Amino acid sequence: MISPDLRFEGFDVESWTNLVALFSPGVVERMENQPAMTDAPTADKREAGGASDLRGTLVVVLGNGDRVLKSYHTSRGPIVDLEWGGRESLGELCRTYGARRALALREGVADEMAERLALRLQRGDDYATQWLAFTRIFREMEDAGQIYVYPRPLEKVPVPSAGTVKRALDIILPDDHSVVMTVWSKGRPFTTVALSRRNGCIDRVVGPDLLTRWVGPLGGDFRRDHRVIVDAVSGALAPVHLGVFAELSTLEELLRASGPGAWAQAVAVRDVIIYPAPPYAAVALGADAVRGVATETRRLLGGVDFFQAFSPLTDLVRSRIAEVASVKATLGFDPLHALSAWLRRREPRAEEYSVHAGGTRAADSRDPL
Amino acid sequence: MRIEGRTLRVGRERMPLLSGAMHYFRLDPDAWRPALRELRNMGLPIVETYTPWGVHEVSPGEFDFGAKDPRHDLGRFIDLAAEEGLWVFIRPGPHINAEMTHFGLPERVVYDKACQARSPRQNPVILPFPPQMFPVPSYASERFHDEAGLWYDAVGEVVAPRIYPNGPVVLLQVDNEASYYFRNGAFDQDYHPDAIAMYQRFIIERYGSLPAAAKAHGQRYPAESDINPPTRFEGQTPKDLPRYLDWAEFQERLITNALTRMRGRMAEAGLTGVPVTHNVALGEAGLPISLPAIDSVVDLMGLDYYHPAREHRTIKRRTLLLAGTVELPYSPEMGVGAPPWFTPLTHGDSMYCALTAFAYGLRGLNLYMAVDRDRWYGSPIDARGRSRAEAAIWRDLFTRLTEVRFEELTRKAEVALVIPPEYRRLSRVTHLFGGLVSPAALEALGGTPVDGCREDGLGFEGPIQVLWWQMLAKTADALTEAQVPYVWIDGDAPDARFEGLSVVVCPTYEFASAPRWERFRALAENGTTIVYGPDVPELDEAMAFHHFQAPKDSRRVLIDDAADAQALVDELIRENDLPRPFQVTPRPLETTVHEDAVGPRVLFVMNPTRDPITSTVTLPAPCRLLDLATGERITGETEAEVSMPKLTCRVFVIEKSASEPPPKRRPSARRKTK
Repeated sequence: MISPDLRFEGFDVESWTNLVALFSPGVVERMENQPAMTDAPTADKREAGGASDLRGTLVVVLGNGDRVLKSYHTSRGPIVDLEWGGRESLGELCRTYGARRALALREGVADEMAERLALRLQRGDDYATQWLAFTRIFREMEDAGQIYVYPRPLEKVPVPSAGTVKRALDIILPDDHSVVMTVWSKGRPFTTVALSRRNGCIDRVVGPDLLTRWVGPLGGDFRRDHRVIVDAVSGALAPVHLGVFAELSTLEELLRASGPGAWAQAVAVRDVIIYPAPPYAAVALGADAVRGVATETRRLLGGVDFFQAFSPLTDLVRSRIAEVASVKATLGFDPLHALSAWLRRREPRAEEYSVHAGGTRAADSRDPL
Repeated sequence: MRIEGRTLRVGRERMPLLSGAMHYFRLDPDAWRPALRELRNMGLPIVETYTPWGVHEVSPGEFDFGAKDPRHDLGRFIDLAAEEGLWVFIRPGPHINAEMTHFGLPERVVYDKACQARSPRQNPVILPFPPQMFPVPSYASERFHDEAGLWYDAVGEVVAPRIYPNGPVVLLQVDNEASYYFRNGAFDQDYHPDAIAMYQRFIIERYGSLPAAAKAHGQRYPAESDINPPTRFEGQTPKDLPRYLDWAEFQERLITNALTRMRGRMAEAGLTGVPVTHNVALGEAGLPISLPAIDSVVDLMGLDYYHPAREHRTIKRRTLLLAGTVELPYSPEMGVGAPPWFTPLTHGDSMYCALTAFAYGLRGLNLYMAVDRDRWYGSPIDARGRSRAEAAIWRDLFTRLTEVRFEELTRKAEVALVIPPEYRRLSRVTHLFGGLVSPAALEALGGTPVDGCREDGLGFEGPIQVLWWQMLAKTADALTEAQVPYVWIDGDAPDARFEGLSVVVCPTYEFASAPRWERFRALAENGTTIVYGPDVPELDEAMAFHHFQAPKDSRRVLIDDAADAQALVDELIRENDLPRPFQVTPRPLETTVHEDAVGPRVLFVMNPTRDPITSTVTLPAPCRLLDLATGERITGETEAEVSMPKLTCRVFVIEKSASEPPPKRRPSARRKTK
């Protein structure tokens, strides 16, 4: 899935940092944090400023009899006299010491994981497969009570097999194809990334320097430039299977949106261009649109399920959707949803917003499809 | 052709140790010449490159140096560099990292079990770096050294004929960041049979006999083959510790021996006749290496730097340790840009890191990477050999530093903080986070090398493995607050590094190194004030009773908190009349001054905060400050007002008075083109 000969090229500091910031704002957050000006910090309870001051990870190492051998805050330093109240106390400890998350592990677990990893890896495994193996080992340690993690957003998500992930990747990025995403910000190119895949593996990650060489200077209108970009990438890299083109503010909203209809609405009004749109994407957008309409109509009709009257039709649509493989169906979870949930957790907001924020719309789990 | 002072003498020419990295094997050969030319135009007289074993070996024992792939034509690359007026710095490995798969080693070598490092359970030791995890080689493996020797022979055929005076190659490096491939937890490795055999010989050599070794370790050793290294930390009392401390010291010795062996093998392959360097990775305070030992087996040892501006204190501490421990503080890799899997580094970060390192004593560096390539971003020259805007900024900096002969200046420091190797090793063996997040990794991530240590007292009054660092760190904070110049020194540094010091501060607890204690006593006889404590040791490193006599006129202190440290520093300032030149307000701004025989010549003013601050610098005499970057002149009689943007280091030439004419410029060093 990831080639050992992976080429990464064509980025400068700004374009790479912009791309990273899109999907991992925590990195930018860390860049903005002022670290301790001393090599001898010691955190205590008084430093925590409450829920608004949560950052970093609380790490606790336990010895025999749950004796605390070490407690450490990755952003604040060593913690003195931490009182361990069992797995259930991790949430409270996070609040007490101002940590966003907690990891408690028993002495020796890290070494055990390293030994198990060495036994599981096979020569020729690609990087994704290797990290799946490590993830499975981590889950084993959790299940055996050797590691406790808080929170546990993926608690119910099974660790997919390498084959499963490969099949999911086949949907998004088939062999001998590429995907491209270009983001603009206030009329200027913000960042671009294109990935290609050959012999089953992602073999190139390309940034705007190369793209500019293939396309020429980009203007400020992605609604006009996207076809040129797709043609250039298809010629220089591989036929484009999926292209996403958007304004930065729109994309940031969509990546954090959990409410149904957000993507479909953005595409409909051309705030986002999906071009080309592979069959799954088209169906997903259609399904997202239907969900959005369903939610809106339930709101407007005071809770009446609009689609009840059309259930034979929805059954028909549902059966057709099954013919088109979906990433969610393949993996067992929706990675886009997981990403948006993660991003929203990093940037807690009281309410969720739709693309055209004119009010708030609560996420609705009822799915007519 | 030698290191002379802090310069490189090549024939009749002396040049500062400034170079830029470019990877020929990753670029279109058509881009080589323009990139080399731009690198030279940046004011860098030397181009540096790795030569990757795994790229040149196209099949076992068969090497391509351009016959099959023009990108592999190392000889042509070196010759082109010479044509463009550049000297050349070659780093042939055997391992190079360079963000390459398998760190540039051939896959067949990596997967050769006889070459692999071993975990306590005899499994491979996996390094989880992208783009593919791999088992790391053993620094003890005879097979690996044999294979590496064949590689040296092959690359030597191309490089050796081009070594000065026959060619432009003026520097070589042995291996790369030798510290167990980042899997450097105390019990991560190496349990390879060759390593264990070496360990057994080390123990016998240390104690002289099996019975003595068994007694020291509290083990039964019927035969030498029964001397097995510890595989996890289970110590509870002082008498349990020698076995673990010996293991930690052996890990350092293994690396030093490996580097010595590799250097010898390089020489056999013709890779000799010019200075040989070695680079130490981030987190050196937690690494299983001895800086003085490595410095003794190469001609030039340095630290690699990849720090954002917000890590000011780490940049400062690392540089002060380098400046205190070695003669020529040098950086074989000063990060410019970064690989995609590092924390992003901006141009501002790289510039701040380099300037701050210069401020605290660095005198030479290799910009890594000067030229962009695969798996990198942010270099001042792109992969087609075109300069980006940042190239001009670096060029101006190097030009001006060369003009003021910065490499010849000295930052005076009369106070040293000594890192006791026995305590550093104790911290390593009591680390709790395993090898995947080793002490070095913690330090590299902005923490300290003791952050992961258990807090047990181990039969002592307190956890020495944590306390020693805290004492030194608090003292460093107090010295910084009082604006007293100081350095850090590795406790095993040669005597010459301690010469000229007024004050030496070294934590001491219930056990300590007896030989180093005697060195301190000798220093005290010569007038150096030794500050130790909180304890007068009673045990040596073997946990045997030893009489430690207090050094003459020494001070025994207990540093519990910042107030204790500040009180100590205040007294030291008074009693030793410690100079505090060019003080700055408000805090936490900092200054350093660099001087020659005439007097202060260059001033650095640093703002490590996120707020712009207008500072006031106290002047010892009326003078004019000339900003090297902007040309701004600031004059003052007793003080100067200097505006400091956030996260900025400004560099000033100190001109004696407003009436003194600007200094004459010296042309930058450049190899004569053919």
